Amino acid sequence: MSKLLSAQAMVDQIPDGASVTIGGSSLSRKPMALVRALARSGRKNLTLIVNVGGPEVDLLIGLGVVSKVIYAFVGFEVLGLAPHFRAARQTQQVEFEEWTEYTVMAGLDAAIKRVPFLPTRAGLGTDVLHVNRSFRTIEDPFSSQTLVAVPAIHPDFALLHVNYADDRGNGVILGDGHIDVLCAKAARTTFMSCERVLNGEELQKFGRDVQVLRIHTQGVTEIAWGAHPTGCAPEYRADLKHLEEYIAATGDAARWNAYKDNMVWAEHNQYLDRVGGREHLVSRLHV
Amino acid sequence: MDYSLDELMIATMAKNLTGEVLVSSVTAFGALAALVAQKTHAPELAVLATPESGMEVTPLPTLTLGQFLTDVQRGIPLTMEEIFDAIFCDLFRIWINPAQIDQFGNVNISAIGPWEKPKVALVGSRGIPEDTSHLSQIFYYVLHHNPRSVVAKVDFRSGAGNGPERDQYLGPWGAPTLLVTDLGVFNFTGPQGSMAVQSLHPGITLDDVQAKTGFVLEMPEGDIAVTPQPTLEELDIIRRADPLEVRKLELLSGEQAAEKFVTIYERERQALHVAWPARSRF
Repeated sequence: MSKLLSAQAMVDQIPDGASVTIGGSSLSRKPMALVRALARSGRKNLTLIVNVGGPEVDLLIGLGVVSKVIYAFVGFEVLGLAPHFRAARQTQQVEFEEWTEYTVMAGLDAAIKRVPFLPTRAGLGTDVLHVNRSFRTIEDPFSSQTLVAVPAIHPDFALLHVNYADDRGNGVILGDGHIDVLCAKAARTTFMSCERVLNGEELQKFGRDVQVLRIHTQGVTEIAWGAHPTGCAPEYRADLKHLEEYIAATGDAARWNAYKDNMVWAEHNQYLDRVGGREHLVSRLHV
Repeated sequence: MDYSLDELMIATMAKNLTGEVLVSSVTAFGALAALVAQKTHAPELAVLATPESGMEVTPLPTLTLGQFLTDVQRGIPLTMEEIFDAIFCDLFRIWINPAQIDQFGNVNISAIGPWEKPKVALVGSRGIPEDTSHLSQIFYYVLHHNPRSVVAKVDFRSGAGNGPERDQYLGPWGAPTLLVTDLGVFNFTGPQGSMAVQSLHPGITLDDVQAKTGFVLEMPEGDIAVTPQPTLEELDIIRRADPLEVRKLELLSGEQAAEKFVTIYERERQALHVAWPARSRF
């Protein structure tokens, strides 16, 4: 059965206060078109769960729709710090919980495996253990070793952007996989955008690159350039020029309002026109 | 012999990578150090194209093309599970570039000031807690050695250095091994695992280093070693592998950095295609 849905129909299902885990990694394969659709939906008090976050976390914080962020990292990599994330951390406008890369994976994995926690040595001897109130230390029942108990993370929704998908919800990832598969399995509902919808036969030619399985997917939508301004290997790279404009716009209320009006309150095709149009994007970003 | 500070640091970093382990390419310095090591004394190293994937690839430092390198060179894609399993099994090495490192080798990339209300919120601990609880060698580099980056006590421990908590919970796994800065090379063989001078870069004195360090350094007895200069072979590998000079970006600031950044971003696709002409995947 086809799971094709519009981005609008997907975000309509996400209520206020939902927890949403987002795939990709910093400037790579973030489901930005879905994130902008979520932003336009007017949902509030979202909890975001990311391993390595970037523009998606920053944009949603900047729009005031986030109440809590679970993260191992939020930044713009070669472009430096994430401006709204940084400001919200410093003014304590949003609740932040610092995890680590593996513990986010372990939390999602615990949810998948239907256990309340998974143990790890990661975090011992660091201040993450002191500021993260969700973690506990436990004693190994077999020896006296102290370990960190990482609680299960149960996201209501996962948002992913992949290279190709079929209409039943199998997804092909060609570049780095990041933790998208864990997000898809752990979330109650997984929505996936893709650069192109292929038929099942075409998709199966990708073999092991079919990483997201349809048993974990509830909705698929075709959005070319759906990761922009982040990159989607091996097709297009991150748009650092646009991200520099974004960072510059966050410094000033008038410019930020203009950015929102132009870039967030725009349907995807309008958005693509406003960032220069498809031909222009191909010449600047295709690899 | 003509060489620059970035090349001296990269060659020094390279000398410390050995064995059949994954080496992550998070920064140009880390990627080039891994490549130099692999092409000289450590052919078994498995150098990655990106922080998390692209095994059996020749790194090319760029701003945005790490994953594309894996594709054009048909590198072996890895999953995050494979990366963290390699870390937990001590089959992974990484040169970490922290915002702060202290005299016991604790490192910080989370926050300047108190974590709850930071003066500057940085990026978050990422995978450093995993590295500093599992690896038998932990390598750090700092580009601007000064009292704000090499400090008595970090504002937040993103990575575990030496101290009572390490002794109680971790033992030797993940303990700091080495720090390379723009002034010298430091190990953690001082009292209670504190930082000690291993060598100073050519032309740098102990007074220079002490003046730029936020605590009193453990001084070596007798003559102080000078960091070996890069060899012609090392320089050749670095320069060939980084034709866009992305490595220079890490040491530049202000307008110079901005200009270089734009040039690299404009030219990096061409550099990739020259080195590895595109092939169709179908």
